[in-house]
Amino acid sequence: MPEAEVNLNKTYDAVIVGSGAAGGMAAHVLTTHGLQVLLLEAGKKLPIEQELRSMEWPYDNAHRGFLPPSSHSLTFNEYTIRNPPYSAGLEKSKHLYSYIGSSDYVKNIVVDERENPFTGTNYAWVRARCLGGKTNIWGRLALRLSDYDFKAKDRDGYGENWPISYSDIAPYYDKVDLYLGITGVPENLPYLPDSIFQRPTKLNCAELILKQGLHKMGRVLTQYRAGVTSEGLKHNKYRSRCYGRGACERKGGCDIHAAFDSPTGLIYPAMDTGNLTLRTNAVVREITVDQQTGKASGVHFVDSQTMKDYNVRAKVVIVAASTLESARLLLLSKSRLYPNGLANSSGHVGHNFCEHIMGPGVTGRAKDLVGKPPTLDDGRPGGFYLTRFRNLTEKHPKFIRGYGFEGGSGSTLFPRGTDTHGFGAAFKEEVRKNQGAFIGMGAFGEVLARYENYVELDPVVKDKWGIPSLRFHYKFGDNEHRMAEDMKETAQEMFEAAGFEIVHVASRVLTEGWSIHELGTARMGNDPKTSVLNQFEQSHDVKNLFVVDGSAFVNASCQNPTWTIMALCWRSCDYLADELKKGNL
Amino acid sequence: MSTNDPINFRQDRRQWLKSSATVLGASLLPLPVVPTETQQAETKSAPPHASEAANKSAGRFFTTAQHALVEELSETIIPADSHSGGAKAAKVADYIDQVLRESFDETQKSLWREGLHLIDVMSQHYHGKTFVNAAPEDRIALLTVLSDHESMIDLPEVRFFLQLKHMTVTGYYTSKIGIHDELQYKGNRVLQEYVGCDDPGPATS
Repeated sequence: MPEAEVNLNKTYDAVIVGSGAAGGMAAHVLTTHGLQVLLLEAGKKLPIEQELRSMEWPYDNAHRGFLPPSSHSLTFNEYTIRNPPYSAGLEKSKHLYSYIGSSDYVKNIVVDERENPFTGTNYAWVRARCLGGKTNIWGRLALRLSDYDFKAKDRDGYGENWPISYSDIAPYYDKVDLYLGITGVPENLPYLPDSIFQRPTKLNCAELILKQGLHKMGRVLTQYRAGVTSEGLKHNKYRSRCYGRGACERKGGCDIHAAFDSPTGLIYPAMDTGNLTLRTNAVVREITVDQQTGKASGVHFVDSQTMKDYNVRAKVVIVAASTLESARLLLLSKSRLYPNGLANSSGHVGHNFCEHIMGPGVTGRAKDLVGKPPTLDDGRPGGFYLTRFRNLTEKHPKFIRGYGFEGGSGSTLFPRGTDTHGFGAAFKEEVRKNQGAFIGMGAFGEVLARYENYVELDPVVKDKWGIPSLRFHYKFGDNEHRMAEDMKETAQEMFEAAGFEIVHVASRVLTEGWSIHELGTARMGNDPKTSVLNQFEQSHDVKNLFVVDGSAFVNASCQNPTWTIMALCWRSCDYLADELKKGNL
Repeated sequence: MSTNDPINFRQDRRQWLKSSATVLGASLLPLPVVPTETQQAETKSAPPHASEAANKSAGRFFTTAQHALVEELSETIIPADSHSGGAKAAKVADYIDQVLRESFDETQKSLWREGLHLIDVMSQHYHGKTFVNAAPEDRIALLTVLSDHESMIDLPEVRFFLQLKHMTVTGYYTSKIGIHDELQYKGNRVLQEYVGCDDPGPATS
């Protein structure tokens, strides 16, 4: 797919900053409406199949699939004891990656931390600068939000309601389901609405045992709702249906593109309309403003390789650079008219920063499965999702909001259980016999959106391109820590109820950022004094500026955000195209 | 060595470390392979791929004697049995050699050199033979001492044992023998329908 040259003399209908889930969706929707769109991505267009190599056996890889010794990915301890950019003790590593960059298959997808420093409180900030961004390696869990989330303030009085209801977004969830494909099982839960599912995969035996155990407790375990096409998509020639080949649990992406990624799911089809121009290696440093009209006039970017500067013009600017990068870009876009940064008359840009807390969980063993012949369990889109059960009908005395668990069981490419004590013939047999009998799950809980959790521009530190870095002021609070305590207890209690032998209970809360679900830094709302965007992700201050990624979220809910980011973006871009035609932008 | 009696490992350790200075001649202490100053300088300035190639051509990390010892140690951790080959057949010693050869972690490299030395010191003390020459049951008995004291991580021989086990496990279960013969991994081929629980039929390949 050849990239067209950016026409610097042209005024595009829309310029989109970022090519992940949000930017890809904006490109898809706007080009379908016939708009002339320029899509800018800060990173490269990688030969992604050559990066992911999902079918490569570890023994055919020079380092068995691990990072080459010249590179290092950060560990929990390093995040905890060192401050960014983590140099002390790690000087010998030529490349330094976030924790997710620990395999040979992901190293070129995530950014080098040293080229992209940040300061302040500890944060495991995972960034992927390449075409498609983090969608190349996402976890695929594709969940809807409900009015339990959109109207959470009505239920417990905390924070703000979203300016939309489930009924506003439901048709767009449907569109996303049908256009991108999702597999799962309908459960008819009011707090976790069903999608339009393609053919589901079955649970395996240990998962079924857990499901039955939970049923007695009134709790719900369902198949992993994966943004993966199990039946194929007739309208998309770039993606294959999932054929359950395996090694899917290995960190990394899906190189047959059965799992959704932004390039094959959204961007390549958008390019086929003839309405999309793609420019990679374009690091946007500022949204430019017409000081007469106060409207956005385009963007200013630097080529990441040549360091040359460019200005491009557009009638509408769409920011989709990921929650924290989008906030950074708005804050960077200061001018005489907008001294606090663009779209920031409320002072809320960078604030109300929220996400999911994770760490607590449990590993167990299903004794009945010990010694059973090996099965292929990691050749499916995912294991299971255990849905939220806190603060739905009863009020928990210690915390508000809720959490769900992601988990799975069965044989994997690298066996579970090698941390068993001992060695020798008995150890070897133990690992072999137990390899399919382990089951594990970990919780994802809502971190409350708080004004005092925020990012701002660092006054001193700059990135490789001379652009000011972010400084973090972000910590989990009491509600999160009380929730984490409950996660650990309920995880153990549920595994015990299912009759599993408890192997390990994890109580440690992972570093802030670990869930890679950062949200809320340019929240939507009806009041321009307390929110950055309206219900169509349009800036209250600047009518032709839209921010369509996770930064628009009002709260984090406990569900994974990608599907909601895309549904919201689709709705906003329909509105945008309509307003542009009416001449209102 | 009797494995029935509880061992006072620290007291025992003082004895065998003390005796090792006289029992073991300097000839038994393998000289570590240390890259020269120029090699280190080249490694620093070269691009990643070039530096990896340079390390490979610089030769092995282990001496021939050390390599033989690592083979026997790893085979003691994961032995051949009636089900599949062990660490020796899976060439785990070669894997560990590669990791250490390419590593920038001098602490890890020193631990391996010291650990291999201490294994033979222990083996001489308990069995009057080097580890390689000791009987299989004596090898097991020696590593059992370390495994049973795995929380004493202030001792280099214990840290070495944990490293040895970790790297043997990693090397073995990422090898052809480990994945296909031992675990009989079913993935990396087309699966028409995930079998799941209520349909215990065989996977199609």
